Amino acid sequence: MWRRSASFVLDKQRQQPDESRTERLDMSERPETLANPNPNPGISAYYETRAAHHGVVTSDWLAQAQAAVTRDPADLTLEKGLVAPAASSSGSAKAFSVIDEFNRWRKQPDLAEAVAAILALTAVIRTSEATTMMELEIELKKASDSLKSWDTTSISLTAGCDLFMRYVTRTSALEYEDFNAAKSRLIERGEKFGEISRKARRTIAMLSQDFIFDGCTILVHGFSRVVLEVLKTAAQSNKLFRVLCTEGTPDRTGLRLANELAKLDVPVKLLIDSAVAYAMDEIDMVFVGADGVVESGGIINMMGTYQIALVAHGMNKPVYVAAESYKFARLYPLHQKDMAPALRPIDFGVPIPKGVEVETSARDYTPPQYLTLLFTDLGVLTPSVVSDELIQLYL
Amino acid sequence: MPDTQSLVNDFVIKLKRRKVEGSHATARQTAELLRSVISQQRVPYTNQAGALIDAVKAVGEQLVAANPVELAVGNIVRRVLHIIREEDISLATNAIGGLGLSVGSDDEDDAAKDDHPALSAAAVAAAFRSTLRPPSLHALLEGVPDSGAVPHASSSGGDSEGKSKSADKSTRSRKLKHDVIEAINELIQDIDTCHEQIAEQAVEHIHQNEVILTLGRSRTVMEFLCAAKEKKRSFRVFVAEGAPRYQGHVLAKELVARGLQTTVITDSAVFAMISRVNMVIIGAHAIMANGGVIAPVGLNMVALAAQRHAVPFVVVGGSHKLCPLYPHNPEVLLNDLKSPSELLDFGEFSDCMNFSSGNGAPLLHVVNPAFDYVPPNLVSLFITDTGGHNPSYMYRLIADYYSAEDLSLQQRPASGN
Repeated sequence: MWRRSASFVLDKQRQQPDESRTERLDMSERPETLANPNPNPGISAYYETRAAHHGVVTSDWLAQAQAAVTRDPADLTLEKGLVAPAASSSGSAKAFSVIDEFNRWRKQPDLAEAVAAILALTAVIRTSEATTMMELEIELKKASDSLKSWDTTSISLTAGCDLFMRYVTRTSALEYEDFNAAKSRLIERGEKFGEISRKARRTIAMLSQDFIFDGCTILVHGFSRVVLEVLKTAAQSNKLFRVLCTEGTPDRTGLRLANELAKLDVPVKLLIDSAVAYAMDEIDMVFVGADGVVESGGIINMMGTYQIALVAHGMNKPVYVAAESYKFARLYPLHQKDMAPALRPIDFGVPIPKGVEVETSARDYTPPQYLTLLFTDLGVLTPSVVSDELIQLYL
Repeated sequence: MPDTQSLVNDFVIKLKRRKVEGSHATARQTAELLRSVISQQRVPYTNQAGALIDAVKAVGEQLVAANPVELAVGNIVRRVLHIIREEDISLATNAIGGLGLSVGSDDEDDAAKDDHPALSAAAVAAAFRSTLRPPSLHALLEGVPDSGAVPHASSSGGDSEGKSKSADKSTRSRKLKHDVIEAINELIQDIDTCHEQIAEQAVEHIHQNEVILTLGRSRTVMEFLCAAKEKKRSFRVFVAEGAPRYQGHVLAKELVARGLQTTVITDSAVFAMISRVNMVIIGAHAIMANGGVIAPVGLNMVALAAQRHAVPFVVVGGSHKLCPLYPHNPEVLLNDLKSPSELLDFGEFSDCMNFSSGNGAPLLHVVNPAFDYVPPNLVSLFITDTGGHNPSYMYRLIADYYSAEDLSLQQRPASGN
């Protein structure tokens, strides 16, 4: 069997020899995330937020989300209990938790997860009582590790933490100053980052205007704030175009995008997810957002992006990705199951017979050869540029 | 400056009438024209770089409009703009460095330090630098323009800077122009020697007893093949004749004169012969930012044939052909329709093209496009004067040669004429 060939699978098998396949994948995270206080292991925290912000909510989903939210306060105190000892071991006991802070920022629908992470880490610096750069770095490292392990499935969270850590440890501007000045500079930069993320969306929207021509038909998948901004800008500059929205089951994020576009008087047509190939011949380009952009230049995005990209590639249609550069992650997935799966509940509307498995993973990996261009705030990039950028930053 | 204006007008007319053939000649003449524009341009006391940029942009806009299909014009204009910006910054940093400030050569250091509003020159330089440097992940957090938290070193530097700047100024203005002209001379030299530099790499790519296929005639390809021959490689060349201009015949003649084993085939025989070919080498009209190529007509067909048989498709071309634009709609925007007389003998076909028959329009139409667009996935390798590159790497060269803010030349209304 092909899965046996990869060594990491062997490791996982050793850990969980008797689990069935899908269960093994989510169970295998547990040993490394024993400190993971994620309240609901069946649902990825990332998707929980997404659903809260963008989802067209189904009744079942609502019930589960509600349950998760009401359970939240209790769990959060539990988290504090778990994180605080780690922090106090570094000598600064305080009633502050990165994860609380992160969750607070995350509630804002306009703020990307990576930005929330950076803001949370900035708050760590502010409350820190460290007196040297090294101490501060260690403290930050701990905080970012606990953030990362809180939701291992979120790529942009990891990417945001890595980016900020890199900035803190590498920035040359700090070498001149005394510690307090350096600290205030770090805080200031971190706080401005929210601004950057909003600006990044504007930049991407401006860059992509050249590619949307009058009379074109655009296929979009799921709900992405960047893609919405792109289409909004195009509509505001009086471009004539049509949008086909996929439905985006199971959380039906496509409906929400269609909703937003209809408000802008853009002609929209809704498709069920399986009608993509049927509709592809009338489409001029595919526009998708991304949860994360990985080192190969491929993207990790909502389930179904891969098959859309495959169909578009097969029919010679360009696939454009709009993603802010802080979503660039240091990952190199070799196949679909190479990442920790982000799970989410799926409501089929009917009871599923016992013994029938349900694929609950929420996203897939689209390899770079099926993507035409990436629109980022760094410019219009070919997929191979992504690895170049990451190497420049992290090497 | 009636002098430059007439020079510009002459060149514009030449471009409009398509009197300048080929991207190499166009690039060279554009660079020479811009050099004389700059040397004649009177620079004001302040903001000389801005004045030069405006002048070059105004001229450049006319030139590009005169022949939008010849992308080399726009490329050279942008290169010159980039040169002006670069020289201005290097002068500005020299001036600051000369004041004994502890400003390192490190970009980030300067950019972070020079935020003080009073430090005009330094601030301009820093702003320029951040635009010159292509945006990167690394600069994402650094590049925030901040008002507070200015380190004390730079504010004290601002005062001393102000005093010595006026004395420095007059020498600076002359120096900037001088440096820019110097750099343009280098650029012209680069354009002249690009064939040789590309040809130097020939032996690395052409091996003994190989069969090379090319279409039409390109001087770069010719010199590339000859360079390999001179280094005692023996190989065979298939030349597709390149209808309707049959430049392939000229190339075949030249190659035979250099003692190369040459075979002429028709364009339609490319697919029949491609299975025997080891490598396709062609010259480009322009190389786009995504790695696509605007090439003489017929080459897309050759590229598809090469892909079908997994034959490497190599594009040679000097860096003046590197265009920072994306081909949004290449077939529509960037093609040139040439005279039908190249295809048909008008005398023989005069009956078919009779305007008095029927409803006044002739039944026979002739379309003679000059270029093809070859998408990046069909190209295996680019060989430029800086070495061999993957199509997806082209963006990197472009980031080296051009400033991001020069990409569109048409933004401001023409002020020069």
